[in-house]
Amino acid sequence: MNRAARPRTPRRPTRRILLALAIVVLLAAWAIMWRPAIDAQTSVPSFDPATIERGQRLAAVGTCAACHTVDVSRPYAGGRALDTPFGTVYSTNITPDARTGIGQWSEAAFTRALREGVSRDGHLLYPAFPYDHYTQLAQDDIRAMYAYFMTRPALEAPAHDNDMTFPFGFRPLVAFWNILYLKREPWKPDAARSAEWNRGAYLSVALAHCTACHTPRTKLGGTDFSRHLDGGEAEGWYVPALNAHNPSPVFWTQEHLAEYLRTGIAPDHAVAGGPMQATVENLRLADPKDVDAIATYIHSYLAEAPLRETPAGKPGSLPGSLPAPAAADPDLARMQAGYAVYANSCARCHEVGREASSGAALQLQKAVALYDPDPRSLIHIVRDGIAPPDGEPARWMPAFGSILTDEQTGALAAYLRRYGAGQPQWEHIEDAVKKARQP
Amino acid sequence: MTTYHLRVNGRDHAVDTDPDTPLLYVLRNDLGLNGAKFGCGLGQCGACTVTLAGESVMSCLVPVSVVGNRPVGTVEGLGTTRAPGVLQQAFIAEQAAQCGYCIAGMMMRAQSLLAQNPKPSDAEIRKHMMPNLCRCGTHMRILRAVRRAADALPARGTKT
Repeated sequence: MNRAARPRTPRRPTRRILLALAIVVLLAAWAIMWRPAIDAQTSVPSFDPATIERGQRLAAVGTCAACHTVDVSRPYAGGRALDTPFGTVYSTNITPDARTGIGQWSEAAFTRALREGVSRDGHLLYPAFPYDHYTQLAQDDIRAMYAYFMTRPALEAPAHDNDMTFPFGFRPLVAFWNILYLKREPWKPDAARSAEWNRGAYLSVALAHCTACHTPRTKLGGTDFSRHLDGGEAEGWYVPALNAHNPSPVFWTQEHLAEYLRTGIAPDHAVAGGPMQATVENLRLADPKDVDAIATYIHSYLAEAPLRETPAGKPGSLPGSLPAPAAADPDLARMQAGYAVYANSCARCHEVGREASSGAALQLQKAVALYDPDPRSLIHIVRDGIAPPDGEPARWMPAFGSILTDEQTGALAAYLRRYGAGQPQWEHIEDAVKKARQP
Repeated sequence: MTTYHLRVNGRDHAVDTDPDTPLLYVLRNDLGLNGAKFGCGLGQCGACTVTLAGESVMSCLVPVSVVGNRPVGTVEGLGTTRAPGVLQQAFIAEQAAQCGYCIAGMMMRAQSLLAQNPKPSDAEIRKHMMPNLCRCGTHMRILRAVRRAADALPARGTKT
Protein backbone atom coordinates (compact mmCIF):
# COMPACT_ATOMS: atom_id res chain seq x y z
CA MET A 1 0.00 0.00 0.00
CA ASN A 2 1.27 3.44 -0.92
CA ARG A 3 2.12 5.57 2.12
CA ALA A 4 0.88 8.76 0.58
CA ALA A 5 -2.39 7.14 -0.19
CA ARG A 6 -3.06 6.26 3.43
CA PRO A 7 -6.10 8.18 4.51
CA ARG A 8 -5.21 10.84 7.12
CA THR A 9 -8.64 11.23 8.58
CA PRO A 10 -8.30 8.59 11.37
CA ARG A 11 -5.67 10.77 13.07
CA ARG A 12 -7.95 13.69 13.58
CA PRO A 13 -10.21 12.06 16.17
CA THR A 14 -7.09 11.16 18.22
CA ARG A 15 -6.05 14.79 18.23
CA ARG A 16 -9.54 15.89 19.10
CA ILE A 17 -9.66 13.44 21.98
CA LEU A 18 -6.28 14.71 23.23
CA LEU A 19 -7.44 18.30 22.92
CA ALA A 20 -10.69 17.50 24.72
CA LEU A 21 -8.73 15.65 27.42
CA ALA A 22 -6.41 18.64 27.86
CA ILE A 23 -9.41 20.93 28.21
CA VAL A 24 -11.00 18.59 30.74
CA VAL A 25 -7.75 18.40 32.72
CA LEU A 26 -7.38 22.19 32.66
CA LEU A 27 -11.01 22.64 33.69
CA ALA A 28 -10.60 20.10 36.47
CA ALA A 29 -7.39 21.78 37.63
CA TRP A 30 -9.11 25.14 37.51
CA ALA A 31 -12.04 23.74 39.48
CA ILE A 32 -9.62 22.34 42.06
CA MET A 33 -7.58 25.53 42.32
CA TRP A 34 -10.16 28.29 41.94
CA ARG A 35 -12.08 29.59 44.92
CA PRO A 36 -14.57 32.43 44.84
CA ALA A 37 -14.20 35.61 46.88
CA ILE A 38 -16.54 36.06 49.81
CA ASP A 39 -18.23 39.47 49.90
CA ALA A 40 -16.52 42.09 52.02
CA GLN A 41 -18.41 43.10 55.12
CA THR A 42 -18.74 46.85 55.52
CA SER A 43 -18.92 46.92 59.29
CA VAL A 44 -17.61 44.71 62.07
CA PRO A 45 -20.42 43.02 64.03
CA SER A 46 -20.55 43.35 67.81
CA PHE A 47 -19.94 40.48 70.23
CA ASP A 48 -20.72 39.75 73.86
CA PRO A 49 -17.78 39.97 76.29
CA ALA A 50 -18.04 36.32 77.38
CA THR A 51 -17.55 35.13 73.78
CA ILE A 52 -14.60 37.47 73.29
CA GLU A 53 -12.94 36.21 76.45
CA ARG A 54 -13.48 32.59 75.45
CA GLY A 55 -11.95 33.42 72.07
CA GLN A 56 -8.95 34.97 73.77
CA ARG A 57 -8.33 31.81 75.81
CA LEU A 58 -8.70 29.63 72.71
CA ALA A 59 -6.40 31.87 70.64
CA ALA A 60 -3.80 31.35 73.38
CA VAL A 61 -4.12 27.56 73.01
CA GLY A 62 -3.85 28.01 69.23
CA THR A 63 -0.61 30.01 69.85
CA CYS A 64 -1.76 32.45 67.16
CA ALA A 65 0.49 35.18 68.56
CA ALA A 66 3.60 33.02 68.15
CA CYS A 67 3.48 33.70 64.41
CA HIS A 68 1.15 36.69 64.04
CA THR A 69 2.78 38.96 66.65
CA VAL A 70 6.31 40.17 66.01
CA ASP A 71 6.31 43.35 68.09
CA VAL A 72 4.39 43.03 71.38
CA SER A 73 3.30 46.66 71.06
CA ARG A 74 1.55 45.73 67.79
CA PRO A 75 -0.29 42.48 68.58
CA TYR A 76 -1.44 40.32 65.65
CA ALA A 77 -0.08 42.73 63.00
CA GLY A 78 1.91 39.86 61.41
CA GLY A 79 5.20 40.07 59.54
CA ARG A 80 7.03 37.12 61.06
CA ALA A 81 9.22 35.25 58.57
CA LEU A 82 8.87 31.47 58.57
CA ASP A 83 11.51 29.52 56.70
CA THR A 84 10.12 26.43 55.01
CA PRO A 85 11.72 24.02 52.54
CA PHE A 86 9.58 25.75 49.89
CA GLY A 87 10.58 29.33 50.62
CA THR A 88 10.02 32.02 53.23
CA VAL A 89 6.44 32.76 54.20
CA TYR A 90 5.49 35.89 56.15
CA SER A 91 2.61 35.86 58.62
CA THR A 92 -0.12 38.37 57.87
CA ASN A 93 -2.07 41.02 59.75
CA ILE A 94 -5.08 39.47 61.52
CA THR A 95 -6.26 42.66 63.23
CA PRO A 96 -9.60 44.09 62.03
CA ASP A 97 -7.97 46.78 59.87
CA ALA A 98 -10.20 46.98 56.77
CA ARG A 99 -7.47 47.50 54.18
CA THR A 100 -4.47 45.51 55.45
CA GLY A 101 -6.07 43.20 58.05
CA ILE A 102 -9.19 41.06 58.21
CA GLY A 103 -11.72 43.85 58.95
CA GLN A 104 -13.69 43.01 55.79
CA TRP A 105 -13.84 39.31 56.64
CA SER A 106 -17.23 37.98 57.69
CA GLU A 107 -17.44 35.01 60.02
CA ALA A 108 -17.99 32.88 56.91
CA ALA A 109 -14.74 34.13 55.38
CA PHE A 110 -12.84 33.61 58.66
CA THR A 111 -14.29 30.10 58.95
CA ARG A 112 -13.30 29.21 55.38
CA ALA A 113 -9.72 30.38 56.03
CA LEU A 114 -9.48 28.16 59.12
CA ARG A 115 -11.21 25.15 57.60
CA GLU A 116 -9.97 25.26 54.01
CA GLY A 117 -6.97 27.60 53.90
CA VAL A 118 -8.64 30.09 51.56
CA SER A 119 -8.32 33.85 51.95
CA ARG A 120 -11.45 36.05 51.76
CA ASP A 121 -10.57 37.13 48.21
CA GLY A 122 -10.27 33.47 47.14
CA HIS A 123 -6.49 33.02 46.99
CA LEU A 124 -5.09 29.92 48.64
CA LEU A 125 -3.10 30.32 51.85
CA TYR A 126 0.17 28.47 52.37
CA PRO A 127 -0.04 25.62 54.90
CA ALA A 128 2.56 27.37 57.09
CA PHE A 129 -0.79 28.57 58.43
CA PRO A 130 -1.94 25.31 60.06
CA TYR A 131 -5.46 25.13 58.58
CA ASP A 132 -4.93 21.39 58.11
CA HIS A 133 -5.32 21.34 61.92
CA TYR A 134 -7.89 24.12 62.38
CA THR A 135 -10.17 22.42 59.86
CA GLN A 136 -11.44 20.19 62.69
CA LEU A 137 -12.37 23.01 65.06
CA ALA A 138 -15.92 23.28 66.37
CA GLN A 139 -17.82 26.15 64.77
CA ASP A 140 -18.53 27.57 68.21
CA ASP A 141 -14.80 27.84 68.91
CA ILE A 142 -14.13 29.43 65.52
CA ARG A 143 -16.87 31.97 66.28
CA ALA A 144 -15.33 32.82 69.65
CA MET A 145 -11.90 33.38 68.12
CA TYR A 146 -13.48 35.48 65.35
CA ALA A 147 -15.07 37.62 68.07
CA TYR A 148 -11.71 37.99 69.79
CA PHE A 149 -9.75 39.01 66.71
CA MET A 150 -12.48 41.35 65.45
CA THR A 151 -12.32 43.27 68.74
CA ARG A 152 -8.53 43.78 68.76
CA PRO A 153 -7.15 47.24 67.91
CA ALA A 154 -7.06 47.62 64.12
CA LEU A 155 -3.47 48.14 63.01
CA GLU A 156 -2.30 49.08 59.56
CA ALA A 157 0.32 46.58 58.44
CA PRO A 158 0.41 45.50 54.78
CA ALA A 159 1.44 41.90 54.10
CA HIS A 160 5.14 41.30 53.45
CA ASP A 161 5.80 39.65 50.08
CA ASN A 162 6.64 35.95 50.43
CA ASP A 163 9.89 34.68 49.02
CA MET A 164 9.06 31.26 47.59
CA THR A 165 11.31 28.99 45.54
CA PHE A 166 10.06 28.12 42.03
CA PRO A 167 7.35 26.95 41.39
CA PHE A 168 5.76 27.40 44.81
CA GLY A 169 5.18 31.11 44.24
CA PHE A 170 2.15 29.94 42.21
CA ARG A 171 -0.35 29.65 45.03
CA PRO A 172 -2.99 27.53 43.23
CA LEU A 173 -0.56 24.58 43.47
CA VAL A 174 -1.50 24.42 47.16
CA ALA A 175 -4.83 22.95 45.99
CA PHE A 176 -3.05 19.71 45.13
CA TRP A 177 -1.30 19.67 48.52
CA ASN A 178 -4.75 20.06 50.06
CA ILE A 179 -5.99 16.95 48.25
CA LEU A 180 -3.20 14.96 49.93
CA TYR A 181 -3.08 16.50 53.39
CA LEU A 182 -6.24 18.45 54.19
CA LYS A 183 -8.64 15.97 55.79
CA ARG A 184 -11.87 17.90 56.01
CA GLU A 185 -13.55 15.78 58.65
CA PRO A 186 -15.24 17.03 61.80
CA TRP A 187 -13.57 16.14 65.10
CA LYS A 188 -14.49 12.64 66.32
CA PRO A 189 -14.00 11.85 70.00
CA ASP A 190 -12.72 8.42 71.00
CA ALA A 191 -15.51 6.81 73.02
CA ALA A 192 -13.05 4.48 74.75
CA ARG A 193 -11.19 7.42 76.35
CA SER A 194 -12.06 9.85 79.12
CA ALA A 195 -13.66 13.25 78.52
CA GLU A 196 -10.45 14.91 79.73
CA TRP A 197 -8.36 12.92 77.23
CA ASN A 198 -10.75 13.74 74.40
CA ARG A 199 -10.71 17.43 75.29
CA GLY A 200 -6.91 17.29 75.26
CA ALA A 201 -6.83 15.42 71.96
CA TYR A 202 -9.11 17.98 70.33
CA LEU A 203 -7.07 20.92 71.66
CA SER A 204 -3.69 19.34 70.85
CA VAL A 205 -4.50 18.30 67.31
CA ALA A 206 -7.11 20.78 66.05
CA LEU A 207 -6.10 23.95 67.90
CA ALA A 208 -2.63 23.91 69.51
CA HIS A 209 -1.36 21.96 66.47
CA CYS A 210 1.31 20.20 68.56
CA THR A 211 1.63 17.63 65.80
CA ALA A 212 2.59 20.31 63.26
CA CYS A 213 6.10 20.29 64.76
CA HIS A 214 6.21 17.11 66.90
CA THR A 215 5.18 14.80 64.04
CA PRO A 216 7.57 14.46 61.10
CA ARG A 217 6.64 15.86 57.71
CA THR A 218 6.81 14.19 54.34
CA LYS A 219 8.97 15.49 51.48
CA LEU A 220 5.93 17.48 50.33
CA GLY A 221 5.70 19.19 53.68
CA GLY A 222 2.56 17.40 54.87
CA THR A 223 2.05 15.64 58.18
CA ASP A 224 3.32 12.05 58.07
CA PHE A 225 0.17 10.58 59.62
CA SER A 226 1.84 7.17 60.04
CA ARG A 227 4.32 8.59 62.58
CA HIS A 228 2.15 10.40 65.12
CA LEU A 229 4.27 12.51 67.56
CA ASP A 230 7.48 10.81 66.37
CA GLY A 231 9.52 14.05 66.44
CA GLY A 232 10.12 16.69 63.80
CA GLU A 233 11.83 20.00 63.34
CA ALA A 234 11.05 23.70 63.63
CA GLU A 235 13.17 26.74 62.85
CA GLY A 236 16.36 24.69 62.76
CA TRP A 237 15.66 22.95 66.10
CA TYR A 238 15.07 19.25 66.61
CA VAL A 239 11.55 18.89 68.00
CA PRO A 240 11.41 15.92 70.37
CA ALA A 241 9.29 12.87 69.77
CA LEU A 242 6.49 12.67 72.34
CA ASN A 243 5.89 8.94 72.00
CA ALA A 244 8.00 5.88 72.82
CA HIS A 245 10.93 7.59 71.06
CA ASN A 246 10.98 10.57 73.42
CA PRO A 247 14.67 11.25 74.14
CA SER A 248 14.29 12.61 77.70
CA PRO A 249 16.64 10.87 80.14
CA VAL A 250 14.25 11.73 82.98
CA PHE A 251 10.78 10.18 82.85
CA TRP A 252 8.03 12.70 82.20
CA THR A 253 5.25 12.52 84.74
CA GLN A 254 1.94 14.06 83.75
CA GLU A 255 2.33 16.65 86.53
CA HIS A 256 5.77 17.65 85.22
CA LEU A 257 4.42 17.97 81.71
CA ALA A 258 1.46 20.12 82.79
CA GLU A 259 3.76 22.41 84.77
CA TYR A 260 6.17 22.64 81.84
CA LEU A 261 3.35 23.61 79.49
CA ARG A 262 2.00 26.24 81.87
CA THR A 263 5.32 27.80 82.95
CA GLY A 264 8.03 26.66 80.56
CA ILE A 265 9.86 24.95 83.41
CA ALA A 266 9.71 21.39 84.72
CA PRO A 267 11.88 21.66 87.83
CA ASP A 268 15.11 19.65 87.69
CA HIS A 269 14.09 18.36 84.28
CA ALA A 270 13.55 20.80 81.43
CA VAL A 271 13.35 24.47 80.42
CA ALA A 272 11.48 25.46 77.26
CA GLY A 273 13.74 26.96 74.59
CA GLY A 274 13.54 27.82 70.92
CA PRO A 275 10.14 27.58 69.24
CA MET A 276 8.66 25.87 72.33
CA GLN A 277 9.32 28.98 74.39
CA ALA A 278 6.84 30.97 72.29
CA THR A 279 4.37 28.12 72.70
CA VAL A 280 4.48 28.14 76.50
CA GLU A 281 4.33 31.95 76.53
CA ASN A 282 0.97 31.56 74.81
CA LEU A 283 -0.23 28.58 76.82
CA ARG A 284 0.12 30.36 80.15
CA LEU A 285 -2.65 32.71 78.95
CA ALA A 286 -4.92 29.76 78.19
CA ASP A 287 -7.50 28.21 80.50
CA PRO A 288 -5.33 26.12 82.90
CA LYS A 289 -7.88 23.30 82.66
CA ASP A 290 -7.34 23.17 78.89
CA VAL A 291 -3.57 23.00 79.38
CA ASP A 292 -4.06 20.14 81.85
CA ALA A 293 -6.19 18.36 79.26
CA ILE A 294 -3.41 18.77 76.67
CA ALA A 295 -0.97 17.27 79.19
CA THR A 296 -3.35 14.34 79.73
CA TYR A 297 -3.52 13.63 76.00
CA ILE A 298 0.18 14.07 75.24
CA HIS A 299 1.20 12.09 78.31
CA SER A 300 -0.81 9.10 77.14
CA TYR A 301 1.79 8.80 74.33
CA LEU A 302 4.78 10.05 76.32
CA ALA A 303 4.19 7.37 78.97
CA GLU A 304 5.26 4.78 76.37
CA ALA A 305 8.85 6.06 76.56
CA PRO A 306 11.09 3.59 78.38
CA LEU A 307 12.53 4.35 81.81
CA ARG A 308 16.15 5.33 81.36
CA GLU A 309 19.10 5.59 83.69
CA THR A 310 21.13 8.78 83.34
CA PRO A 311 24.82 8.99 84.15
CA ALA A 312 23.76 11.38 86.94
CA GLY A 313 21.86 8.62 88.65
CA LYS A 314 24.77 6.18 88.76
CA PRO A 315 26.00 5.36 92.24
CA GLY A 316 29.12 7.24 93.29
CA SER A 317 28.71 10.08 90.79
CA LEU A 318 28.65 13.60 92.18
CA PRO A 319 25.51 15.54 91.45
CA GLY A 320 26.04 17.31 88.16
CA SER A 321 29.79 16.89 87.89
CA LEU A 322 31.11 15.75 84.54
CA PRO A 323 34.42 13.90 84.24
CA ALA A 324 37.57 14.85 82.35
CA PRO A 325 37.96 12.78 79.19
CA ALA A 326 39.55 9.37 79.58
CA ALA A 327 43.21 9.18 78.48
CA ALA A 328 42.30 6.35 76.12
CA ASP A 329 39.53 8.31 74.37
CA PRO A 330 39.97 7.84 70.61
CA ASP A 331 38.87 11.45 70.05
CA LEU A 332 40.99 12.83 72.89
CA ALA A 333 42.02 16.22 71.45
CA ARG A 334 38.43 17.24 70.66
CA MET A 335 37.15 15.87 73.97
CA GLN A 336 39.78 17.82 75.91
CA ALA A 337 38.90 21.00 74.02
CA GLY A 338 35.23 20.41 74.79
CA TYR A 339 35.94 19.64 78.43
CA ALA A 340 37.98 22.86 78.75
CA VAL A 341 35.01 24.88 77.49
CA TYR A 342 32.64 22.97 79.76
CA ALA A 343 34.82 23.31 82.87
CA ASN A 344 35.59 27.00 82.35
CA SER A 345 32.23 28.23 81.02
CA CYS A 346 29.34 25.85 81.72
CA ALA A 347 30.34 24.31 85.05
CA ARG A 348 30.10 27.69 86.75
CA CYS A 349 26.32 27.40 86.78
CA HIS A 350 25.64 23.78 85.84
CA GLU A 351 27.83 22.11 88.49
CA VAL A 352 27.12 22.22 92.20
CA GLY A 353 29.68 23.80 94.50
CA ARG A 354 31.74 25.88 92.08
CA GLU A 355 30.50 29.37 92.88
CA ALA A 356 27.63 31.14 94.57
CA SER A 357 25.53 30.67 91.44
CA SER A 358 26.58 27.05 90.97
CA GLY A 359 23.94 24.39 90.73
CA ALA A 360 21.15 26.85 90.01
CA ALA A 361 21.03 25.63 86.44
CA LEU A 362 19.91 22.22 85.25
CA GLN A 363 22.41 19.37 85.67
CA LEU A 364 23.52 18.65 82.15
CA GLN A 365 23.20 14.86 82.52
CA LYS A 366 19.46 15.52 82.74
CA ALA A 367 19.30 17.98 79.82
CA VAL A 368 17.12 16.53 77.05
CA ALA A 369 19.13 18.28 74.31
CA LEU A 370 22.13 16.00 75.03
CA TYR A 371 19.99 12.95 74.21
CA ASP A 372 18.40 14.24 70.99
CA PRO A 373 19.13 12.28 67.80
CA ASP A 374 21.05 15.29 66.44
CA PRO A 375 22.92 18.23 68.03
CA ARG A 376 20.86 21.10 66.56
CA SER A 377 18.91 22.07 69.66
CA LEU A 378 21.96 21.87 71.95
CA ILE A 379 23.96 24.09 69.60
CA HIS A 380 21.12 26.64 69.45
CA ILE A 381 20.88 26.76 73.24
CA VAL A 382 24.66 27.22 73.62
CA ARG A 383 24.75 29.91 70.94
CA ASP A 384 21.58 31.86 71.73
CA GLY A 385 21.07 31.11 75.42
CA ILE A 386 17.59 31.21 76.89
CA ALA A 387 16.01 34.60 77.49
CA PRO A 388 12.70 35.10 79.30
CA PRO A 389 9.98 37.06 77.50
CA ASP A 390 10.04 40.85 77.97
CA GLY A 391 9.32 41.87 81.52
CA GLU A 392 8.85 38.31 82.78
CA PRO A 393 10.92 36.53 85.39
CA ALA A 394 11.93 33.13 84.07
CA ARG A 395 14.89 30.85 83.60
CA TRP A 396 17.75 32.56 81.87
CA MET A 397 21.01 31.48 80.29
CA PRO A 398 23.52 33.77 78.61
CA ALA A 399 24.25 33.40 74.89
CA PHE A 400 27.69 32.03 74.07
CA GLY A 401 27.49 32.55 70.28
CA SER A 402 29.96 35.43 70.28
CA ILE A 403 32.12 34.02 73.05
CA LEU A 404 32.93 30.57 71.64
CA THR A 405 34.43 29.86 68.24
CA ASP A 406 32.66 27.35 66.00
CA GLU A 407 35.40 24.86 66.80
CA GLN A 408 34.91 25.32 70.55
CA THR A 409 31.12 24.99 70.24
CA GLY A 410 31.47 21.78 68.21
CA ALA A 411 33.97 20.29 70.66
CA LEU A 412 31.69 21.20 73.57
CA ALA A 413 28.71 19.47 71.91
CA ALA A 414 30.79 16.36 71.23
CA TYR A 415 32.13 16.29 74.80
CA LEU A 416 28.68 16.75 76.37
CA ARG A 417 27.23 14.02 74.17
CA ARG A 418 29.86 11.50 75.25
CA TYR A 419 30.58 12.45 78.87
CA GLY A 420 27.31 14.16 79.79
CA ALA A 421 24.86 11.77 78.19
CA GLY A 422 27.05 8.73 77.55
CA GLN A 423 25.42 8.37 74.13
CA PRO A 424 26.94 7.33 70.76
CA GLN A 425 28.58 10.34 69.13
CA TRP A 426 26.55 12.62 66.82
CA GLU A 427 27.64 12.90 63.22
CA HIS A 428 28.13 16.19 61.36
CA ILE A 429 28.38 18.36 64.49
CA GLU A 430 30.57 20.88 62.66
CA ASP A 431 27.96 21.27 59.87
CA ALA A 432 25.24 21.86 62.44
CA VAL A 433 27.37 24.55 64.15
CA LYS A 434 27.94 26.30 60.81
CA LYS A 435 24.23 26.17 59.94
CA ALA A 436 23.23 27.59 63.33
CA ARG A 437 25.48 30.60 62.67
CA GLN A 438 23.60 31.57 59.52
CA PRO A 439 21.11 34.33 60.27
CA MET B 1 48.50 28.59 86.17
CA THR B 2 48.99 28.87 82.43
CA THR B 3 50.44 31.65 80.32
CA TYR B 4 47.93 33.22 77.93
CA HIS B 5 48.88 35.54 75.10
CA LEU B 6 46.22 38.17 74.50
CA ARG B 7 45.96 40.90 71.89
CA VAL B 8 44.08 43.81 73.46
CA ASN B 9 43.50 47.12 71.64
CA GLY B 10 46.25 46.16 69.20
CA ARG B 11 48.88 45.40 71.86
CA ASP B 12 50.18 41.96 72.84
CA HIS B 13 50.18 40.86 76.46
CA ALA B 14 51.25 37.71 78.30
CA VAL B 15 49.28 36.83 81.42
CA ASP B 16 49.80 33.99 83.91
CA THR B 17 46.46 32.88 85.30
CA ASP B 18 43.98 30.04 85.70
CA PRO B 19 42.04 28.90 82.62
CA ASP B 20 38.65 29.77 84.09
CA THR B 21 39.61 33.34 85.02
CA PRO B 22 37.10 35.67 83.39
CA LEU B 23 38.55 37.96 80.73
CA LEU B 24 37.11 40.87 82.76
CA TYR B 25 39.40 40.08 85.71
CA VAL B 26 42.42 39.77 83.43
CA LEU B 27 41.68 43.12 81.79
CA ARG B 28 41.17 44.93 85.07
CA ASN B 29 43.59 43.21 87.45
CA ASP B 30 46.44 42.08 85.21
CA LEU B 31 46.39 44.64 82.41
CA GLY B 32 45.11 47.65 84.37
CA LEU B 33 42.37 48.36 81.85
CA ASN B 34 39.59 49.45 84.21
CA GLY B 35 37.10 50.70 81.60
CA ALA B 36 35.06 47.48 81.60
CA LYS B 37 33.14 47.24 84.90
CA PHE B 38 32.05 44.36 87.09
CA GLY B 39 28.28 44.67 87.37
CA CYS B 40 26.44 41.42 88.02
CA GLY B 41 29.09 38.88 87.12
CA LEU B 42 26.38 36.76 85.46
CA GLY B 43 26.18 38.26 81.98
CA GLN B 44 22.89 39.98 82.70
CA CYS B 45 23.79 43.69 82.81
CA GLY B 46 26.42 44.43 80.16
CA ALA B 47 28.70 46.72 82.25
CA CYS B 48 31.64 44.45 81.33
CA THR B 49 31.00 44.46 77.56
CA VAL B 50 34.10 44.37 75.35
CA THR B 51 34.61 43.26 71.78
CA LEU B 52 36.02 39.85 70.87
CA ALA B 53 36.91 39.43 67.19
CA GLY B 54 34.68 42.46 66.55
CA GLU B 55 31.58 41.05 68.28
CA SER B 56 30.44 42.39 71.63
CA VAL B 57 30.67 39.93 74.50
CA MET B 58 30.15 40.22 78.24
CA SER B 59 33.70 39.72 79.47
CA CYS B 60 32.61 38.32 82.85
CA LEU B 61 31.35 35.25 80.94
CA VAL B 62 34.48 34.77 78.83
CA PRO B 63 37.03 32.41 80.41
CA VAL B 64 40.46 33.63 79.37
CA SER B 65 41.20 30.17 77.97
CA VAL B 66 38.68 30.48 75.11
CA VAL B 67 40.03 33.80 73.77
CA GLY B 68 42.92 32.30 71.77
CA ASN B 69 44.30 34.66 69.14
CA ARG B 70 41.06 36.59 68.68
CA PRO B 71 41.60 40.35 69.19
CA VAL B 72 39.99 41.99 72.23
CA GLY B 73 38.78 45.61 72.18
CA THR B 74 38.00 47.73 75.25
CA VAL B 75 36.80 51.29 75.72
CA GLU B 76 40.41 52.39 76.20
CA GLY B 77 40.95 51.53 72.54
CA LEU B 78 38.31 53.97 71.32
CA GLY B 79 40.26 57.12 72.19
CA THR B 80 41.82 59.12 74.99
CA THR B 81 40.67 61.97 77.22
CA ARG B 82 42.55 64.38 74.96
CA ALA B 83 41.48 62.77 71.72
CA PRO B 84 38.15 61.00 72.28
CA GLY B 85 36.89 58.75 69.48
CA VAL B 86 33.71 59.36 67.49
CA LEU B 87 31.56 57.29 69.90
CA GLN B 88 33.09 58.93 72.96
CA GLN B 89 32.52 62.41 71.48
CA ALA B 90 28.91 61.52 70.77
CA PHE B 91 28.33 60.26 74.34
CA ILE B 92 29.85 63.49 75.71
CA ALA B 93 27.80 65.65 73.35
CA GLU B 94 24.57 63.94 74.41
CA GLN B 95 25.65 63.91 78.09
CA ALA B 96 24.62 60.26 78.02
CA ALA B 97 26.26 59.31 81.31
CA GLN B 98 24.64 59.85 84.68
CA CYS B 99 26.61 57.71 87.14
CA GLY B 100 28.55 56.34 84.18
CA TYR B 101 29.00 52.78 85.41
CA CYS B 102 27.36 51.22 82.34
CA ILE B 103 28.81 53.60 79.76
CA ALA B 104 32.02 51.78 78.83
CA GLY B 105 29.94 48.67 78.14
CA MET B 106 27.38 50.70 76.22
CA MET B 107 30.06 52.19 74.00
CA MET B 108 31.61 48.80 73.27
CA ARG B 109 28.20 47.31 72.49
CA ALA B 110 27.59 50.23 70.09
CA GLN B 111 31.09 49.87 68.64
CA SER B 112 30.39 46.30 67.45
CA LEU B 113 27.20 47.52 65.75
CA LEU B 114 28.83 50.44 63.94
CA ALA B 115 31.76 48.29 62.83
CA GLN B 116 29.37 45.93 61.03
CA ASN B 117 26.61 48.37 60.11
CA PRO B 118 27.82 51.99 59.94
CA LYS B 119 24.35 53.31 59.09
CA PRO B 120 21.92 51.47 61.39
CA SER B 121 18.26 52.40 61.66
CA ASP B 122 16.91 53.54 65.03
CA ALA B 123 15.20 50.14 65.37
CA GLU B 124 18.48 48.34 64.68
CA ILE B 125 20.23 50.45 67.34
CA ARG B 126 17.53 49.64 69.91
CA LYS B 127 17.63 45.93 69.14
CA HIS B 128 21.41 45.77 69.26
CA MET B 129 21.71 47.73 72.53
CA MET B 130 19.01 45.66 74.27
CA PRO B 131 21.27 43.41 76.41
CA ASN B 132 22.94 46.39 78.14
CA LEU B 133 21.19 47.98 81.12
CA CYS B 134 21.47 51.43 82.69
CA ARG B 135 20.17 51.67 86.24
CA CYS B 136 20.05 55.49 86.10
CA GLY B 137 17.68 55.32 83.14
CA THR B 138 19.65 57.33 80.57
CA HIS B 139 18.76 54.88 77.80
CA MET B 140 17.17 57.59 75.66
CA ARG B 141 20.34 59.70 75.75
CA ILE B 142 22.44 56.61 75.07
CA LEU B 143 20.34 55.80 71.99
CA ARG B 144 20.72 59.41 70.81
CA ALA B 145 24.48 59.21 71.33
CA VAL B 146 24.74 56.04 69.22
CA ARG B 147 22.60 57.73 66.55
CA ARG B 148 24.87 60.79 66.64
CA ALA B 149 28.00 58.63 66.30
CA ALA B 150 26.48 56.74 63.37
CA ASP B 151 25.56 60.02 61.63
CA ALA B 152 29.08 61.36 62.21
CA LEU B 153 30.71 58.35 60.61
CA PRO B 154 31.35 58.12 56.90
CA ALA B 155 29.23 55.41 55.24
CA ARG B 156 32.35 53.23 54.89
CA GLY B 157 35.41 53.18 57.05
CA THR B 158 34.45 52.51 60.62
CA LYS B 159 37.35 53.81 62.64
CA THR B 160 35.71 55.07 65.78
